[in-house]
Amino acid sequence: MGTSRGEDLPRNQKELRATTAERLEAIVEAAERAAESVIDDAETQAQKHLKQARVEADRIAEKRISDLSHLVDALLEQATSLQREAERMQTALEEAKFRVNPEQPVEAVEGSPPPEQPASPPEAPRLRAVTQAEERSPAPEAKPADAAGARLLATQMAVSGSSREEIEARLRNRFEIEDTTPILDAILGPEDPEE
Amino acid sequence: MTDVVDGIGLEETRSLETRYLMRTYKRAPVDFVKGEGPLLWDADGKRYLDFLTGISVCSVGHCHPEVVKAVRDQAHRLMHVSNLFYTEPMAQLAERLSESSLGGRVFFSNSGTEAIECAIKVARKHAHGRGISNPEIVSFEGDFHGRSYGALSATPGLARNEAMRPMLPGFRSVPHNDAAALREAVGTHTAAVLIEPIQGEAGVIPTSEEALLAARQACDEVGALLILDEIQTGVGRTGSLWAYEQTPVRPDALTTAKALGGGVPIGACVTAPSCADVLELGDHGSTFAGGPVATAAALAVLDVVDDPVLLRQVRELGAYLCEKLEALDGVRETRGRGLMVGVGLEEGIDAAAVGADLLGRGLVVNVPRPDTLRLLPPLVIDSDHVDLAAGLIGESLLACLA
Repeated sequence: MGTSRGEDLPRNQKELRATTAERLEAIVEAAERAAESVIDDAETQAQKHLKQARVEADRIAEKRISDLSHLVDALLEQATSLQREAERMQTALEEAKFRVNPEQPVEAVEGSPPPEQPASPPEAPRLRAVTQAEERSPAPEAKPADAAGARLLATQMAVSGSSREEIEARLRNRFEIEDTTPILDAILGPEDPEE
Repeated sequence: MTDVVDGIGLEETRSLETRYLMRTYKRAPVDFVKGEGPLLWDADGKRYLDFLTGISVCSVGHCHPEVVKAVRDQAHRLMHVSNLFYTEPMAQLAERLSESSLGGRVFFSNSGTEAIECAIKVARKHAHGRGISNPEIVSFEGDFHGRSYGALSATPGLARNEAMRPMLPGFRSVPHNDAAALREAVGTHTAAVLIEPIQGEAGVIPTSEEALLAARQACDEVGALLILDEIQTGVGRTGSLWAYEQTPVRPDALTTAKALGGGVPIGACVTAPSCADVLELGDHGSTFAGGPVATAAALAVLDVVDDPVLLRQVRELGAYLCEKLEALDGVRETRGRGLMVGVGLEEGIDAAAVGADLLGRGLVVNVPRPDTLRLLPPLVIDSDHVDLAAGLIGESLLACLA
């Protein structure tokens, strides 16, 4: 019967083997620790890069939204400006048209508010476009310049906030127009009997 | 009420003025030191109801809190950089003036007379653009447009001062409200008709609608510009933001100043789109004009005045004031519109004596001619102030008639 090989080794060899094993174990443990550290570092770096990438993505998205918002604002501003310009041109054209031929009715402005839509502020009279059917000469004896002047006076007074009664009084006193209703109705809309 | 403000007092102030200022003004013997709303206080603490507002300048009342705040805030931020750069209040005020009136472009100035200078340049250059080499500007007798040489030349009454000659060429005048003479005067070489919708310095005399229509028609026929001087009538004084809004005409350009800054000097010439681009790079300029403080003040003034409720009140109070005045012994007539009122006195009553008497009673008015009182109260007064002023005028007239 033979004995185990270890039992046959001399004592110093047994000690050497034990020491080597301990060392190997220590080396392996150190290597494992190093590997863990490398992994931790790698994870930290990865998370850092991921965070930076997210921040950058957010920044770019935010800038694009802001740019888009400015663009929309600018477009809206341009549209408003164009609308104002168009309204001014429309008014000027109507005035010019009326000066050239005061007898010719001024056509309704496309897209203008309907007669029942109140203008602000509450004290101001309602304004509306003139329709062909309702248009009449302000006074049979009125001269063309006077007729145009009466209409412009009434329009400007209405725009500046004068009441129907104030405009009516001026038309009667200055232009001696007996029946001011056609002009007032054309500019302010028909008088509401309930008012 | 006494509210004495520390100062050097009337006598010392008067002494300095006499010694050091050019003698171009005849001043009333009062040294005002404080103002609030429609009230003024002199150096002795005496209180006055102000129905002149520095000749229609402090239309929102003295030291209106919103105007004071705007001036103070802007002065803390930025006071001046010149017209070589952009400033926000300037651009915002230009938009506000244009959009509330003729829709064209604006040139800012420091005063009304400078606004007129700009209007004259626009008119002349516009005429040159139509091939007119000797452009002429037509005004009414009695008009007052200012005291710089261009404006002076367009002010017939002052232009006749021989000691100030020569005036600028290219100006002529016709009798006020003479529509036929105006039509006759306007010809192919006419650059513009420059008139006041209500003559202020002449004694608050409205330009008739017939004359305004004639001016508009004559200008249209020859391609000239109709320029309305709204320096005194504008910014709500007559019960609409601009006086032309209550007339049967729309001008090609207007001038404004006085009330625009609420006490801070500023003027402007506003055009319609048709002549908005007449003045080009280098044609005109000003170092101070359109500065941040003045334009911030004007924006605050417009915030107060461009209010339909206030403007309606101006029209109603104006009518109420005239009604009260016309009931007084010694009053022949009232003229004007809104809170721009001329009080024509009966023959034999010396308006200057009434004005001086009223100052003693604590009411500040102006006497533009021997038979007329001019009333330009703040637009923010109420009927109690009207009652008080009419009462004082009645007492004064009775005293003068006695």
